[in-house]
Amino acid sequence: MRVRVDELRCVGHGRCYSLVPELFEDDDQGHSVVRGTGLVSAEHAPAAERAVRGCPEGAVTFDRDEPADAAS
Amino acid sequence: MAQDRAAAWDEMRSWGDVFQDADGVWYLTSTEAVQLAARQPEIFSSARAWDFQSSEVQQIPNAIDPPAHARYRRSLDPMLRPAIVNGLEPELRRQVAELIDAFADRGSCNIVAELAALYPTQVFLTLYGLPLSDRDMLTRWVRVILDRPHIDTAPSEEHTEATHALFGYVRGFINAKRAAPGDDMISRLLALDGDDAWTNEELLGATYVMIIAGLDTVRNAISLAFYRLATDPQLRRRIASDPEVIPPFVEELLRLDTVAPFLPRVTIQDVELLGRHIPASSRVLLAFGAANRDKSRYACPHAVDLSQADLGHFGFGAGVHRCLGSHLARRELRLVLEEFHRRIPEYELAPGSEPRIEWPAVTLTYAEVPLVFPRSVHP
Repeated sequence: MRVRVDELRCVGHGRCYSLVPELFEDDDQGHSVVRGTGLVSAEHAPAAERAVRGCPEGAVTFDRDEPADAAS
Repeated sequence: MAQDRAAAWDEMRSWGDVFQDADGVWYLTSTEAVQLAARQPEIFSSARAWDFQSSEVQQIPNAIDPPAHARYRRSLDPMLRPAIVNGLEPELRRQVAELIDAFADRGSCNIVAELAALYPTQVFLTLYGLPLSDRDMLTRWVRVILDRPHIDTAPSEEHTEATHALFGYVRGFINAKRAAPGDDMISRLLALDGDDAWTNEELLGATYVMIIAGLDTVRNAISLAFYRLATDPQLRRRIASDPEVIPPFVEELLRLDTVAPFLPRVTIQDVELLGRHIPASSRVLLAFGAANRDKSRYACPHAVDLSQADLGHFGFGAGVHRCLGSHLARRELRLVLEEFHRRIPEYELAPGSEPRIEWPAVTLTYAEVPLVFPRSVHP
């Protein structure tokens, strides 16, 4: 499972990194970037969904099916 | 809109996600419609939408289209991101506490005149490193400039004087800060060099927008927050007893009481949007206030439901023109509500007062929200 931020859609509302700082952080523009590789543990899946819902731009996506080893 | 906003927004939504009114203006009312338009700022132009204001300055960055727009936001966004607001918070908290302490012992206050109108001006002055003693002068100019009744009528003499006074004031402190920089936002803008350097006229345009768009909107949001809480004792008690409830309440406030419910665009070319053909040069309104009550997105579209606070909203618009001051505005609202309820947990509208929303208007607001409360007792 993995979260992504579409950098072309993100305009810096900052909702994802404010609501779910364990998965997202801000860059020096105040735009969002995923922490690390964006891989999401089962424990953080509800938080990832929260970030998807909270983005007014539809810039955050959460892929439940992507296996962990796809990161490499 | 003045009496029953729920009904007014529902009626507008019933006319369609994309519809044209009798005057030829197009309204975009759903989540999808406003998002689609906001993602195409090169077609849904802001430059042509704001030119009717015929201000003496080029408004920056709201009236600039891509690609030039990105250069301005690249400089401005870092200066108003949440991490920067965190650094300002202790001083901003101290200031709001001081304003509330001035009336907490009295047992009554006028929220707009004594808090909502003053605090955003102080925040701007603090951000720009200017003396707080300029507050009342600056607040008065903004009031006069924005109280112009109709954009089509010629400005009054008072309006013209206030505009000139404001421009003179801004030009004066830009020159002063250029000569003697401080640790503040205008000094940081002045320090940009090379391709990022700003001209004095650009600084004037951006500062004018920050003053005109940033002060009144927060004032209005504070008035709407206190009206809502003063008339909903259950919600007020929840907030007064648990400050953790304030951030989700602020999100629901921004959603329901969208201060700028419509923002204008003009189409640069013919465009298809959700099956409708919008011709070039059409006036378009992004109806964020309607999209914020979209039934397909919110189970409880017309009432505060704190469980909806994570659903996102268009209280600060959408797309590249997302409100530059959104992070500062959110913080101002939270600090006002935290410090007020810490001191004054019990209050209600003053007997006989009936605050009303004036409509039509550009922004949603109550002109005054008079409150009464038990006098605070000092140990």
